[in-house]
Amino acid sequence: MSQTFLLEPDIIAAAENVMPDLNNDLVLAKNFLKQQCAATGDTLYDHLVDVVHKILSQKPPDVVDSFEQYSWEVKQEKFRPNFDLLNDIYLAPPQLAIVHRVDEMFRLVASKNQKLEDMGEEEQELDLEEDNVKPRVADLIDHNYYFREGGYGLPDSECYAVYIALKMLAIKEPVSTVRFFGKIYGTKANYYVAETDLTIEELDRRIREFEMKDMPGEGEGEGEGPIQEAEEQKELMGEGEAREEKSKEPVPPKLPPEPVSTWQPPPPIPVERPGQGVNKKVYWVCNQPGEPWICLPDLTPDQIRVARLTARCMTGDLDAEVLTFPPFEGTERNLLRAQIARVAAGACVSPQGFFTYGSGEEEEDIDLEEGGGDMDFNPNPFYQGHTLKDLLDPNLTYWVHHGKHILKQGRTIWWNPNAGMEEGVEEEEDEGPPPMEPESGPPLFSPLSEDARVEGLPAWTPRCSSMLAPDRALAVLRSNVWPGAVAYATTGKKAECMYVGWGLKYQPPNFSPLQLPRPQDEYPIGPEVMEMADPTFADEEAYRIAHLPPPPPPELPGEGEGFGEEEEEEDE
Amino acid sequence: MNVHKLWEYREYVNVNGMMLTSELISMLQNSLTLLQVENHFTHIQYWGQLYAIDNDYHIAVGINDDAIADRKYFYTTDFKFWGLLPKPKKKYKILSLLTTFPFRGDPSLKIKVLDESLDENHPERCRLMKEESRIAATISNICDEAEICARGQLIKQPDGQVVINPNFYGLTGSEAKQLKSYMHIRHPQQRWNTNLLTRQDYNYSMDFLDSVDQDIPSGCWNLSLEKAGSVAYLKSLYWPGMAYFHKVRSSDAGFLYVGNGRKNLDVPFLL
Repeated sequence: MSQTFLLEPDIIAAAENVMPDLNNDLVLAKNFLKQQCAATGDTLYDHLVDVVHKILSQKPPDVVDSFEQYSWEVKQEKFRPNFDLLNDIYLAPPQLAIVHRVDEMFRLVASKNQKLEDMGEEEQELDLEEDNVKPRVADLIDHNYYFREGGYGLPDSECYAVYIALKMLAIKEPVSTVRFFGKIYGTKANYYVAETDLTIEELDRRIREFEMKDMPGEGEGEGEGPIQEAEEQKELMGEGEAREEKSKEPVPPKLPPEPVSTWQPPPPIPVERPGQGVNKKVYWVCNQPGEPWICLPDLTPDQIRVARLTARCMTGDLDAEVLTFPPFEGTERNLLRAQIARVAAGACVSPQGFFTYGSGEEEEDIDLEEGGGDMDFNPNPFYQGHTLKDLLDPNLTYWVHHGKHILKQGRTIWWNPNAGMEEGVEEEEDEGPPPMEPESGPPLFSPLSEDARVEGLPAWTPRCSSMLAPDRALAVLRSNVWPGAVAYATTGKKAECMYVGWGLKYQPPNFSPLQLPRPQDEYPIGPEVMEMADPTFADEEAYRIAHLPPPPPPELPGEGEGFGEEEEEEDE
Repeated sequence: MNVHKLWEYREYVNVNGMMLTSELISMLQNSLTLLQVENHFTHIQYWGQLYAIDNDYHIAVGINDDAIADRKYFYTTDFKFWGLLPKPKKKYKILSLLTTFPFRGDPSLKIKVLDESLDENHPERCRLMKEESRIAATISNICDEAEICARGQLIKQPDGQVVINPNFYGLTGSEAKQLKSYMHIRHPQQRWNTNLLTRQDYNYSMDFLDSVDQDIPSGCWNLSLEKAGSVAYLKSLYWPGMAYFHKVRSSDAGFLYVGNGRKNLDVPFLL
């Protein structure tokens, strides 16, 4: 075999039959290494060359330890199909899909900016009006800088993309203010959440739509439903009895009437209209910056009630089914909206005085009025900031909530369920339920020191961002109730809060699902349906003895004939 | 997470919105390098942060010869003094799962833990636990369930020693999408041939650890690829706050725990 591959010099050497020398041996050894393997057509010589080449070009440390690995890798590379040569397929990098979307977004924002510039040049008088119309986008990049100083926030690359996405939202949708609310993790994809106020026209439109949808029905149909059914059932039963009378077939034992459910659903708690209470802000979500923002629907109080009783991770798909007990009405987009509302109510905090009612002065007068719970608040132009020591005070009296507390009802403004009854049905006033205590939560801007503690843990933990440079330190507050919710405040006029987390509340020791209600009695308890012990033999015997026919009266002497007569009759 | 690479990692690390600040990195690098020199560790890693009421604990791991058996944990609250954590005792590991009380920030504090599964008069129903032992036990619990590495990050040498692979070049894009490519850093609990033979391309030196895809329930690890598929994040639902990142096709990888040290028992409800 080896002879077939002899090269020229070898043949010559063999022919000349000279004395063995080093060169000759070298050539022979090289020849041996160049033997082709029958299966792959590879030679060890080429392989060693490749390995040495790879090692020398890559220069990894401690090659001797992983030499086998290297040899293996070199062999593996040879088997990799080379698409370029065979049929010229280009494999696009995986980033491509996202790049397309982000590119589109950049174009849109850039063209809008260009347009605005042109407008400004042409009509400078209109600039003021233009400013009023232009939606305000909170400066996420600036806020993120401070968050990162405090040890929280988004990575820079993500932050910039989100900021541009917020700009896109402001251009595309009818919104007047845009703020980054946070990020909510899902098992398959994450949500970026933007918090917005709608423009006045859009808000009006939505309120009109809401009233159109809600006014005509308003619970009447639902209320009558069960009663009507009950009546129908009664009628049916009446008919049934009548039929039974007619038929002459053996009559089954008469059963007690089938019970009719007397349960009536509690009156549905009305939904807060758009722009009010829990629906004050409108939230938009997307899975990736660059994707179109999707508006989350308005909340119903029932959704909040159920969301409080359950714990579930988001999946990242807005139309995913939500399987919980008690049943949740809606898909994941409603659940996400409910969780956002709960986080916003519990974890939106700011230093005292950062926000103020209206424009400032009239606050006390208005606060007492009916609408006090739904007051508008704005950044306080006179806010001067607090000292770091105040902000870091563990009692947290210098921090206040600016998210409205959601009542047990699932609304922020208490709704009196008996209001309608008292006015309408005066006869039943005595029988009606006693007037309910209006629920009330802590008012807006109540300090964090009043928050409930979680198992000895205060609801919020303040931390100072820096030990070494106190002059540029800022105060960071993290929530223990909503892990992932943070807020910062500088000694100047900056403050913001953000939420990055799973959208789950911390519930020590752990979440326990709602118990099923006790099964209700199907029949009124009576002797017919009650279980009782079977009589024993002794009982039966006692019963028999007690119910024996009365013993025959003692025989009278004169009555013997009677017997005789009977006997005679029988004989005949 | 390798302390000497924290500056490079800071853009990737993000645990529930928590990021490393410049000051934290500087302090860690300084004090941990000193700690490494004092103890002659071959590697020193920043492990994470345990939230406490007064002062948060920062935890570091020193690794000498064996990357699994020879780990020493240190804690500090002020970056000046790093205390060696005691060996976790089994009873404290159980007790630390029971207690719902938050960490205080004072290692010498003793807390009472009530074990409600025991009878009223059982002598061990109410037991004392020092916060230091509690930290050690909590960390040990987290290690057993949630400390992970990518496949190939740790290799077993022929003499049985486990070392951090100096020639780790990272997972490929398609490998990074599979839970099977991530391993628990702990003494394997499955049989060695189970771990080895569930792979087609098994490798004796890499597949000696339990992979995370066998954890129950499936879905308790949340794997997501971000930054256009270039960074893989793995988050544990059982230990909220434990996050692992791996930059695809590079040796950059590490985990960080930032949380209150409580196990989340609600996982079956969440999925």
